[in-house]
Amino acid sequence: MRVMVIVKATNDSEDGKMPTPDLLEQMGAFNQQLKDAGILVEADGLRPSAKGARVAFSGQNRSVTKGPFPNVHDLVAGYWIWKVHDLNEAIEWVKRCPNPMPGPSVIEIRPLYEMEDFDRSK
Amino acid sequence: MRVMVIVKATEDSEAGGMPPAELLADMGAFNQALIDAGLFVDAGGVKETRKGARVAFSGKDRTVAKGPFPNINELAAGYWIWRVKDLDEAIEWVKRCPNPMPGPSVIEIREMFEMGDFDEAK
Repeated sequence: MRVMVIVKATNDSEDGKMPTPDLLEQMGAFNQQLKDAGILVEADGLRPSAKGARVAFSGQNRSVTKGPFPNVHDLVAGYWIWKVHDLNEAIEWVKRCPNPMPGPSVIEIRPLYEMEDFDRSK
Repeated sequence: MRVMVIVKATEDSEAGGMPPAELLADMGAFNQALIDAGLFVDAGGVKETRKGARVAFSGKDRTVAKGPFPNINELAAGYWIWRVKDLDEAIEWVKRCPNPMPGPSVIEIREMFEMGDFDEAK
Protein backbone atom coordinates (compact mmCIF):
# COMPACT_ATOMS: atom_id res chain seq x y z
CA MET A 1 0.00 0.00 0.00
CA ARG A 2 1.01 3.62 -0.45
CA VAL A 3 1.04 6.06 2.44
CA MET A 4 1.39 9.80 2.55
CA VAL A 5 3.79 10.72 5.36
CA ILE A 6 3.05 14.29 6.35
CA VAL A 7 5.42 16.55 8.26
CA LYS A 8 3.17 18.92 10.21
CA ALA A 9 4.14 22.59 10.20
CA THR A 10 5.65 24.30 13.23
CA ASN A 11 6.34 27.97 13.97
CA ASP A 12 9.86 27.43 12.61
CA SER A 13 8.67 26.10 9.26
CA GLU A 14 6.00 28.79 9.01
CA ASP A 15 8.72 31.39 9.68
CA GLY A 16 10.52 30.09 6.62
CA LYS A 17 13.48 28.83 8.60
CA MET A 18 15.46 26.54 6.28
CA PRO A 19 16.77 23.25 7.68
CA THR A 20 20.34 23.35 8.99
CA PRO A 21 23.05 21.70 6.84
CA ASP A 22 23.29 19.04 9.57
CA LEU A 23 19.57 18.19 9.29
CA LEU A 24 19.74 18.25 5.49
CA GLU A 25 22.55 15.72 5.65
CA GLN A 26 20.66 13.48 8.10
CA MET A 27 17.52 13.69 5.96
CA GLY A 28 19.59 12.86 2.87
CA ALA A 29 20.87 9.74 4.60
CA PHE A 30 17.35 8.78 5.73
CA ASN A 31 16.00 9.28 2.21
CA GLN A 32 18.80 7.10 0.86
CA GLN A 33 17.79 4.34 3.29
CA LEU A 34 14.18 4.67 2.12
CA LYS A 35 15.37 4.40 -1.48
CA ASP A 36 17.58 1.40 -0.77
CA ALA A 37 14.64 -0.32 0.95
CA GLY A 38 12.45 0.34 -2.12
CA ILE A 39 10.01 2.41 -0.08
CA LEU A 40 10.53 5.95 -1.36
CA VAL A 41 8.15 7.08 -4.11
CA GLU A 42 8.26 10.83 -3.71
CA ALA A 43 9.37 13.55 -1.29
CA ASP A 44 8.78 17.27 -1.25
CA GLY A 45 8.69 20.32 0.98
CA LEU A 46 6.18 23.16 1.08
CA ARG A 47 6.96 26.82 1.47
CA PRO A 48 5.34 28.64 4.40
CA SER A 49 1.59 29.23 4.07
CA ALA A 50 2.35 32.95 3.56
CA LYS A 51 3.02 31.97 -0.07
CA GLY A 52 -0.22 30.03 -0.40
CA ALA A 53 -3.97 30.53 -0.70
CA ARG A 54 -7.22 28.83 0.19
CA VAL A 55 -10.42 28.54 -1.80
CA ALA A 56 -13.57 27.88 0.23
CA PHE A 57 -16.43 26.07 -1.57
CA SER A 58 -19.99 26.62 -0.41
CA GLY A 59 -22.80 25.96 -2.86
CA GLN A 60 -21.92 27.96 -5.97
CA ASN A 61 -19.64 30.35 -4.00
CA ARG A 62 -15.85 30.29 -4.18
CA SER A 63 -14.06 32.60 -1.70
CA VAL A 64 -10.32 33.07 -1.97
CA THR A 65 -8.10 33.85 1.04
CA LYS A 66 -4.37 34.45 0.69
CA GLY A 67 -1.98 33.09 3.35
CA PRO A 68 -0.44 33.13 5.88
CA PHE A 69 -2.91 30.95 7.76
CA PRO A 70 -3.25 30.69 11.53
CA ASN A 71 -3.33 27.40 13.41
CA VAL A 72 0.10 26.13 12.51
CA HIS A 73 -1.02 22.60 13.43
CA ASP A 74 -3.47 22.65 10.53
CA LEU A 75 -0.66 23.01 8.04
CA VAL A 76 1.60 20.71 6.10
CA ALA A 77 5.32 21.53 5.87
CA GLY A 78 6.41 18.57 3.78
CA TYR A 79 5.57 15.02 2.79
CA TRP A 80 6.74 11.74 1.40
CA ILE A 81 4.88 9.07 -0.52
CA TRP A 82 6.06 5.61 0.52
CA LYS A 83 5.20 2.13 -0.65
CA VAL A 84 4.97 -0.13 2.43
CA HIS A 85 3.43 -3.47 3.44
CA ASP A 86 1.29 -2.02 6.19
CA LEU A 87 0.84 0.90 8.57
CA ASN A 88 3.20 -0.60 11.14
CA GLU A 89 6.07 -0.71 8.66
CA ALA A 90 5.50 2.98 7.97
CA ILE A 91 5.44 3.76 11.71
CA GLU A 92 8.74 1.93 12.23
CA TRP A 93 10.35 3.95 9.43
CA VAL A 94 9.00 7.24 10.77
CA LYS A 95 10.49 6.43 14.18
CA ARG A 96 13.89 6.18 12.46
CA CYS A 97 13.46 9.58 10.79
CA PRO A 98 15.51 12.48 12.12
CA ASN A 99 13.26 15.05 13.79
CA PRO A 100 12.45 17.27 10.79
CA MET A 101 12.13 20.40 12.96
CA PRO A 102 14.39 22.19 15.47
CA GLY A 103 11.72 21.76 18.18
CA PRO A 104 9.03 19.16 18.91
CA SER A 105 7.16 18.04 15.78
CA VAL A 106 4.62 15.56 14.48
CA ILE A 107 4.66 13.32 11.43
CA GLU A 108 1.33 11.88 10.30
CA ILE A 109 1.00 8.70 8.26
CA ARG A 110 -2.06 8.41 6.02
CA PRO A 111 -2.85 5.50 3.69
CA LEU A 112 -3.77 6.55 0.16
CA TYR A 113 -6.64 5.32 -1.94
CA GLU A 114 -5.63 2.98 -4.73
CA MET A 115 -7.39 2.50 -8.06
CA GLU A 116 -8.99 -0.73 -6.79
CA ASP A 117 -10.80 1.24 -4.08
CA PHE A 118 -12.55 3.32 -6.72
CA ASP A 119 -13.30 0.37 -9.01
CA ARG A 120 -15.24 -1.26 -6.20
CA SER A 121 -17.56 1.72 -5.83
CA LYS A 122 -18.77 1.48 -9.42
CA MET B 1 6.61 26.51 -10.03
CA ARG B 2 4.95 23.49 -8.48
CA VAL B 3 2.09 23.75 -6.02
CA MET B 4 0.51 21.19 -3.74
CA VAL B 5 -3.25 21.57 -3.85
CA ILE B 6 -4.72 20.08 -0.70
CA VAL B 7 -8.34 19.08 -0.25
CA LYS B 8 -9.08 19.60 3.43
CA ALA B 9 -10.99 16.86 5.22
CA THR B 10 -14.63 17.24 6.22
CA GLU B 11 -16.88 15.08 8.37
CA ASP B 12 -17.98 13.34 5.19
CA SER B 13 -14.44 12.39 4.15
CA GLU B 14 -13.59 11.37 7.71
CA ALA B 15 -16.61 9.06 7.72
CA GLY B 16 -14.97 7.18 4.84
CA GLY B 17 -16.81 5.81 1.88
CA MET B 18 -16.56 6.71 -1.75
CA PRO B 19 -17.62 9.89 -3.53
CA PRO B 20 -20.85 9.56 -5.52
CA ALA B 21 -20.49 8.46 -9.16
CA GLU B 22 -21.45 11.92 -10.38
CA LEU B 23 -18.62 13.62 -8.45
CA LEU B 24 -16.16 10.98 -9.65
CA ALA B 25 -17.20 11.77 -13.23
CA ASP B 26 -16.92 15.56 -12.65
CA MET B 27 -13.49 15.12 -11.05
CA GLY B 28 -12.40 12.90 -13.91
CA ALA B 29 -13.33 15.67 -16.37
CA PHE B 30 -11.54 18.28 -14.25
CA ASN B 31 -8.42 16.11 -14.06
CA GLN B 32 -8.54 15.66 -17.82
CA ALA B 33 -8.68 19.45 -18.24
CA LEU B 34 -5.61 19.75 -15.96
CA ILE B 35 -3.78 17.13 -18.02
CA ASP B 36 -4.73 18.84 -21.31
CA ALA B 37 -3.45 22.16 -19.94
CA GLY B 38 -0.14 20.53 -18.96
CA LEU B 39 -0.61 21.36 -15.26
CA PHE B 40 -1.19 17.94 -13.85
CA VAL B 41 1.78 16.26 -12.15
CA ASP B 42 0.23 13.95 -9.57
CA ALA B 43 -2.94 13.35 -7.55
CA GLY B 44 -3.91 11.15 -4.66
CA GLY B 45 -6.75 10.53 -2.26
CA VAL B 46 -6.04 10.14 1.44
CA LYS B 47 -8.04 7.62 3.45
CA GLU B 48 -9.80 8.67 6.63
CA THR B 49 -7.62 9.20 9.72
CA ARG B 50 -8.84 6.09 11.54
CA LYS B 51 -6.61 4.19 9.07
CA GLY B 52 -3.59 6.37 9.90
CA ALA B 53 -1.14 7.13 12.69
CA ARG B 54 0.97 9.95 14.07
CA VAL B 55 4.47 9.95 15.49
CA ALA B 56 5.33 12.86 17.82
CA PHE B 57 9.02 13.86 18.01
CA SER B 58 10.31 15.49 21.16
CA GLY B 59 14.02 15.27 21.93
CA LYS B 60 14.83 11.56 21.70
CA ASP B 61 11.20 10.51 22.32
CA ARG B 62 8.97 9.10 19.60
CA THR B 63 5.33 8.68 20.65
CA VAL B 64 2.94 6.82 18.36
CA ALA B 65 -0.80 7.53 18.29
CA LYS B 66 -3.19 5.62 16.03
CA GLY B 67 -6.08 7.45 14.34
CA PRO B 68 -8.83 8.62 14.19
CA PHE B 69 -7.71 12.18 14.92
CA PRO B 70 -9.90 15.07 16.07
CA ASN B 71 -9.83 18.58 14.55
CA ILE B 72 -11.02 17.65 11.11
CA ASN B 73 -9.88 21.01 9.68
CA GLU B 74 -6.26 19.99 10.28
CA LEU B 75 -6.49 17.05 8.00
CA ALA B 76 -5.89 16.34 4.36
CA ALA B 77 -8.38 14.26 2.37
CA GLY B 78 -6.62 14.46 -0.97
CA TYR B 79 -4.10 16.39 -3.01
CA TRP B 80 -2.78 17.26 -6.42
CA ILE B 81 0.63 18.43 -7.54
CA TRP B 82 0.34 21.00 -10.34
CA ARG B 83 2.91 22.87 -12.39
CA VAL B 84 1.71 26.47 -12.78
CA LYS B 85 3.13 29.88 -13.68
CA ASP B 86 2.11 31.49 -10.42
CA LEU B 87 -0.24 31.29 -7.44
CA ASP B 88 -3.01 33.14 -9.27
CA GLU B 89 -3.10 30.57 -12.05
CA ALA B 90 -3.51 27.86 -9.41
CA ILE B 91 -6.31 29.82 -7.72
CA GLU B 92 -8.18 30.19 -11.03
CA TRP B 93 -7.96 26.45 -11.62
CA VAL B 94 -9.13 25.62 -8.11
CA LYS B 95 -12.17 27.86 -8.64
CA ARG B 96 -13.07 25.69 -11.65
CA CYS B 97 -12.80 22.49 -9.60
CA PRO B 98 -16.04 20.73 -8.68
CA ASN B 99 -16.65 20.98 -4.94
CA PRO B 100 -14.86 17.81 -3.78
CA MET B 101 -17.24 17.33 -0.84
CA PRO B 102 -21.02 17.00 -0.44
CA GLY B 103 -21.03 20.05 1.88
CA PRO B 104 -18.88 23.19 2.22
CA SER B 105 -15.17 22.50 1.81
CA VAL B 106 -11.77 24.14 1.50
CA ILE B 107 -8.92 23.57 -0.93
CA GLU B 108 -5.52 24.93 0.06
CA ILE B 109 -2.78 25.80 -2.43
CA ARG B 110 0.82 25.65 -1.22
CA GLU B 111 3.94 26.53 -3.11
CA MET B 112 6.54 23.75 -3.13
CA PHE B 113 10.26 24.00 -2.57
CA GLU B 114 12.45 23.19 -5.54
CA MET B 115 15.86 21.55 -5.39
CA GLY B 116 17.65 24.89 -5.85
CA ASP B 117 16.09 26.27 -2.66
CA PHE B 118 17.96 23.74 -0.53
CA ASP B 119 21.24 24.35 -2.31
CA GLU B 120 21.01 27.95 -1.13
CA ALA B 121 20.68 26.78 2.46
CA LYS B 122 24.01 24.96 2.26
